[in-house]
Amino acid sequence: MITVNFTLRRSSFDISLHETFDTGITGIFGPSGSGKTSLLQTIAGLARPDEGSIMIGNTVISNAAANINVPVHKRNIGYVFQDGRLFPHMTVEKNLRYGTKKHRPQALPFDDVVDILKLRHVLGSHPGRISGGERQRTALGRALLSSPDIMLLDEPFSAVDAGLRSQIIPYLLTLQRAINIPMLVVSHELPDLLKLTDRLCVIKNGICIGHGDYHALLGNREVADVLGTGTVLNALTMTVDTVDTTTGLSTLSISAAENLRIICEQSSRVNAPGQELRIFIAAHDIALATRHVPEVTIQNQIRGSVVDMYDRNSRMYCIVDTGVRLVVEVTAAAVGRLALHRGSDVWCLFKSLAIDVAS
Amino acid sequence: MNRYFHFTPAELTAVLLSVKVAVWCSVLSLPAALVIGYFMARHRFHGKSAVESLLHLPMVMPPVTTGYLLLLLFGVRGFFGKWLLHAFGIRLSFTFAAAVIASIVVSFPLFVRSVRTAMEMVDRGIEDASRILGAGRLKTFFRVTVPLSLPGIVSGFVLVFARSLGEFGATITFAGNIEGATRTLPLAIYAYMQVPGREGATLHLALVSVAISFAAMIISEWLVRNMRRQ
Repeated sequence: MITVNFTLRRSSFDISLHETFDTGITGIFGPSGSGKTSLLQTIAGLARPDEGSIMIGNTVISNAAANINVPVHKRNIGYVFQDGRLFPHMTVEKNLRYGTKKHRPQALPFDDVVDILKLRHVLGSHPGRISGGERQRTALGRALLSSPDIMLLDEPFSAVDAGLRSQIIPYLLTLQRAINIPMLVVSHELPDLLKLTDRLCVIKNGICIGHGDYHALLGNREVADVLGTGTVLNALTMTVDTVDTTTGLSTLSISAAENLRIICEQSSRVNAPGQELRIFIAAHDIALATRHVPEVTIQNQIRGSVVDMYDRNSRMYCIVDTGVRLVVEVTAAAVGRLALHRGSDVWCLFKSLAIDVAS
Repeated sequence: MNRYFHFTPAELTAVLLSVKVAVWCSVLSLPAALVIGYFMARHRFHGKSAVESLLHLPMVMPPVTTGYLLLLLFGVRGFFGKWLLHAFGIRLSFTFAAAVIASIVVSFPLFVRSVRTAMEMVDRGIEDASRILGAGRLKTFFRVTVPLSLPGIVSGFVLVFARSLGEFGATITFAGNIEGATRTLPLAIYAYMQVPGREGATLHLALVSVAISFAAMIISEWLVRNMRRQ
């Protein structure tokens, strides 16, 4: 757990944050220049707060009043920089081993990290000779192998081109499951964050304006205005039930909702029944109907009831409980036409093609 | 032709002495140049430009003046010299050590400048990354900063070596021109020039001096290029 309670004075505005971050991934979202990176730098010790304190677990690493400031190298933090910052004069293997500490037990052994991040074939190469994706994975592995108590990731998706940006997400999800420590991921790309986690901390002008499950955050007008600049995604962790090789369709289920079945295109990532998948459906890719629509090409029709509705500048976000909560984005006009209200019985319709899969 | 490869004992002594002074000078300057270069590259403080000017002073001052000041400080009747002689029985002026000290003082600014420029080019973010990974300042310095500024350190080293080979004014003033002890290559050339009929020997030594300097520059270029390629 990370507890921050500090003020950092800046010439433009003060950054003043009072939050607690639990184990698991928390997405730090906000516009550029809102203070997201300053939060990470302050936790890491690269910036010194003017007031307040920071704790990792029960250890105070910074307290301005008591004049406590644990040096950067003693904080046990894994930091993945936006620009990677690999050591250019060392091989990938030397980079990875740079932070390993003899006296600290390793959450994941060296070989496991190398295999999970698929870096074995570049261990002997220098950072200048490997691809952008490999560099990014090396930076992630290097931070991880320093046996950190917490991980801080600053825009881990932005250093690579659009085709590669999501590539890191499955690795992050696998690693989080394996080591289970608090991870703060900073990004100004909402879809990338929502692919990793439902838990967001939204920062604007140096202040946290919302922190929690993003379904709930949509209800806060100020937060929704900030979130509304990006695509709102539904992210679900599901298990493969059946794989039909003739139709190319797979059926997925989720333990949280017994009757919920989702049909998705069989992508190269879907292998066999029992496999766990994380799937993403954009809120604007889901349509609502008041009854089941029999003659339509849309494969997924899921029954639920509207539990919340948020009006955001002619767009409406409906939170539909189908066993799991789905965010559905519709127009205000459509809500009027269907006479939707809290408690309405609805069917969520989305094409199997609209589902994005990460293993 | 053969004559050019034949050295008289006196010539050979001068050549070897010069190389010995240059090696001592560059090796002894190295640690201080690394520390001061790093400090100047990474820290801001009051009076930094005054310190900078002081560091660069021997580079622009007439070497004879530097030698004279050294004599005032470390001569047997000098401020520190007197104390050294009485407390430890050490006499510095007009010895081999004096030749090394004169060389160090005159060439040190070149070393610091070279190291400092190279270290300023090292991305501080990479040093931060090292510290976050658990490396203290010392480990970060030796495993990140120094390797990444190695081309600058090497070229500074060679520059000091070459400057030391050519050092004349401060050496003759503070260390004298004693054959076998302080008569380095340039001093030997000067001494030979004063004696009629030694034109051949003078030219001979001059050519040797050109050859050594040229070789030093070639080796430095080669090393730096190799390191950059890595």
